[in-house]
Amino acid sequence: MQLFVTCLVDRFYPGVGDAVVSVLERLGLDVIVPSDQTCCGQPAFNGGFVRDAAAMAKQTIDVLTARPDPVIVPSGSCADMIVNHYPELFQDDEQYGPRARDLAARTFEFSQFLVDVLGVTPPACPDGPRLAYHASCHGLRGLGLRDQPRRVLHAVAGDRACDLPDAEVCCGFGGLFAVKMPAISGAMLDAKLDAIAQSGANAVVATDVSCLMHIGGGLHRRGSPVRVLHIAEVVAGDRRD
Amino acid sequence: MTSAAAFYRRIDDALANTRVRQALASTMTRLADRRTDALASLPDSDALRDQARRIRAHTIAHLDRYLETFATNAEARGCRIHWAPTAADATRIVVEIAREAGITLAVKSKSMVTEEIELNAALEAAGVRVVETDLGEFVVQVGEDRPSHIIAPIVHRRREDVARLFQEKLGARPEEVADVAAITAFARRTLRRDFLQAGMGISGVNMAVADSGSVCLVTNEGNGRLTTTLPRVHVAVMGLERVVPTAADLGVLLQLLARSATGQALSVYTNVISGPRRPAGSGSPNAGEPDGPDAIHVVIVDNGRTKMLDGPLAEMLYCIRCGACLNVCPVYRHIGGHAYGGVYPGPMGAVVSPGQMGLDAWSELPQASSLCGACRDVCPVRIDLPRLLLTLRAQAAERELTPWWLRLGMPLYAAVATRPALYQWLGSMAARVAHGVARGGWVRRLPGPLAGWTASRDFPAPARRSFLQSYEERRGRTERPS
Amino acid sequence: MTPPKDQVLGAIRHSLRRAVLPGAEATPPRTARVAPADRPALLRQFEQALVALTGHVHHAASAGEAADIIAAVAAEHGARTFLSWDGGELGCDGLLEALASRHLTRVAYDLAFDAAQRAGAVPGLGDVILGLTGSDAAIADAGAIVLVSGPGRGRLASLLPPVHVALVSASRIHPTLPDLLADHPELVARGANLVVIAGPSRTADIEMTLTHGVHGPKHLHVILMP
Repeated sequence: MQLFVTCLVDRFYPGVGDAVVSVLERLGLDVIVPSDQTCCGQPAFNGGFVRDAAAMAKQTIDVLTARPDPVIVPSGSCADMIVNHYPELFQDDEQYGPRARDLAARTFEFSQFLVDVLGVTPPACPDGPRLAYHASCHGLRGLGLRDQPRRVLHAVAGDRACDLPDAEVCCGFGGLFAVKMPAISGAMLDAKLDAIAQSGANAVVATDVSCLMHIGGGLHRRGSPVRVLHIAEVVAGDRRD
Repeated sequence: MTSAAAFYRRIDDALANTRVRQALASTMTRLADRRTDALASLPDSDALRDQARRIRAHTIAHLDRYLETFATNAEARGCRIHWAPTAADATRIVVEIAREAGITLAVKSKSMVTEEIELNAALEAAGVRVVETDLGEFVVQVGEDRPSHIIAPIVHRRREDVARLFQEKLGARPEEVADVAAITAFARRTLRRDFLQAGMGISGVNMAVADSGSVCLVTNEGNGRLTTTLPRVHVAVMGLERVVPTAADLGVLLQLLARSATGQALSVYTNVISGPRRPAGSGSPNAGEPDGPDAIHVVIVDNGRTKMLDGPLAEMLYCIRCGACLNVCPVYRHIGGHAYGGVYPGPMGAVVSPGQMGLDAWSELPQASSLCGACRDVCPVRIDLPRLLLTLRAQAAERELTPWWLRLGMPLYAAVATRPALYQWLGSMAARVAHGVARGGWVRRLPGPLAGWTASRDFPAPARRSFLQSYEERRGRTERPS
Repeated sequence: MTPPKDQVLGAIRHSLRRAVLPGAEATPPRTARVAPADRPALLRQFEQALVALTGHVHHAASAGEAADIIAAVAAEHGARTFLSWDGGELGCDGLLEALASRHLTRVAYDLAFDAAQRAGAVPGLGDVILGLTGSDAAIADAGAIVLVSGPGRGRLASLLPPVHVALVSASRIHPTLPDLLADHPELVARGANLVVIAGPSRTADIEMTLTHGVHGPKHLHVILMP
């Protein structure tokens, strides 16, 4: 298996990358981490900078198609980019079109890989913090990840885990949206933070560190003790205190 | 003020109005939940939506043919058909119809396209008093206000606001506006007088039917029926995309329209109009009917629709104006309808305004979205709104209607991200700088254009060593291309 | 100077060359039908749906029974006069005579084609409290009735008065509106107007508070007959 770690995990949450590797190796899989990976190009694509996005996409395709192995991505939105938007970006490209389609067919978000491909249930871990699940939008609606993250979460945490109120409402990150439309992004964040407070959870769990960075930044600004955890960290059983 | 600055101002104003935000949020939640229940009660709502999409897609793909068929058949039923390439053409046509018929008072049933063309102002300038008859639109008109939601136009108004307005502007006595029922009864009495006296009724068209030459109009209040039955002249203003081939197709769309908009199985009044009445014994269609208008004019309006049809935004013309996308949009929930400017708010407005009227004046709207996709989930004809927003963003970037720091920064980022060693090195430099200013691993204020982030949240300092850097060190095993 | 019709159609044809229309097929789509339920089930569904909309459902097997129901509704609302479809259109022979014998007076109207005469005739109708019509169909899932206009089948009877009584034949019930329109497309063009009425007039524009009788009738009574 190849790990496409994603730019945000690589730079801001390397522990999530470690957690993914740890979980996969515990399952007996051989994990390869291509060294020349950088960014899937989603920020450029979402901003309408198609040429720039295509350049980064080609780089990513080159790196990930050097081997035929499936690709695991600890991010619903980056997986969505590769699976749904890469083939579109290169549909008329004779060279990259087939490679994009090939890559799309073997790229999976982390929880999707565990549930749909491996069919494994992570072991239960009854003790630990109360966890509230936030459904990251691109994974949810782009990849259809309605069940998989919840199944993984409940397998590990059982009753300790629940959905946030309005779990499927966007947190307001939206990539550059967070910076270009800060007032609206902030209002959406407030709604999410209120839901978190209402849930009484000790930690918020999601499949995307983009959401977690935004939510975590808001929690920290509010002085809240609630932490943010990536689903791979929950499965790996990390205790970051 | 530039259109962007004006937009940001409207956003700030909207966000500051907590009362309206709460009213809007609870209305939206109620409508969205009712939609969910209403679709769930259908035997197979997914199949129905697929069918609706096929109908709309096929029709738009052959729009010229179906519009022509509609016009021919409507004329055979006695309607006069008018074609209006621009908003100015459309208003001129309606003003001329009013003049020719000696109209001094017109009653109007809500129509978004008449807002597009600013018909009321044109008629008033020509000496025709125009009375809006949907309760919400009537309140908007009396209050000289603007609607804030296409299905619930006065969601931003409290009952007390309306009561006060009726007292101040219409001479209502306090007991006549004491509660919602009284206010409604007052409006009914007031408007009934206008209905009975008006010489012209103006309506929109929810959907025209090509093979019968009919126009269909839906309302809950009954003002649509009164507007199109009592006055002797009926003017129906129609966006040129609002047509379907057959009555059976109309049925499919109607089965979804009210459920998607408000959760009702059907609107209270679904009104299908096939021509004016004709004198008895004339041998024409509709001969001998005892009531209804004597003349019907249908004004087919372009006003930028063919511009939107010309390229990758064409799918937006499938829209049946149900408002379901508004009810689930988290951005709309916070900023409401007025902030969008233009006639159409929410996700569909963010596509229609730039699509029809041009990106130059509207390039900010498609940026006001986190692309969460909730709108696409609920669209009855499955329009891929996020994709259309991305298309508009790409067009904006192409035309350099983007902030300077992105125009510079994005190609730079791409240049770095396609050079892995440089990418890692620059990342480490940035991490060092960040840790220089961070407290406990958090940055409280980001510089320049990134300051928007830290307006409402802290920013985590990047890790000193990236995952790839430490993985390579620890394992010595990252894969190098051979 | 190109005529506006050609301008518009020409602009459409021009745009269609580059229009991106996902899901568009060359052949017109066919409508799939709902599996037909049995009539008693449909009638129950219709009744439930209409009552949920605050409509009223009565049953009658004869003109006399129908007339008694109508007279009771009229008395409840203080109505002595009513607007109505012609006797032959109501679908219940002898009903108008039965109503006359119960001292309910039908108000006839003639909306002339002359503007001034029409303007004179209309306001007087505004005081009538009761309207009586037949119907052409009923729709079970929406609790709705379908009325087609024509000679002797005026629209005002179901529109102006605050109380509308409609006679519905149980044999004309259909599962859904798409089914009705797919099976009977000719209904749409039989008259100048086809209206589908799903309950009394309503609005929730003010604070999302539901009120009835905004512009159309406030009270809808359906009399189901064989």
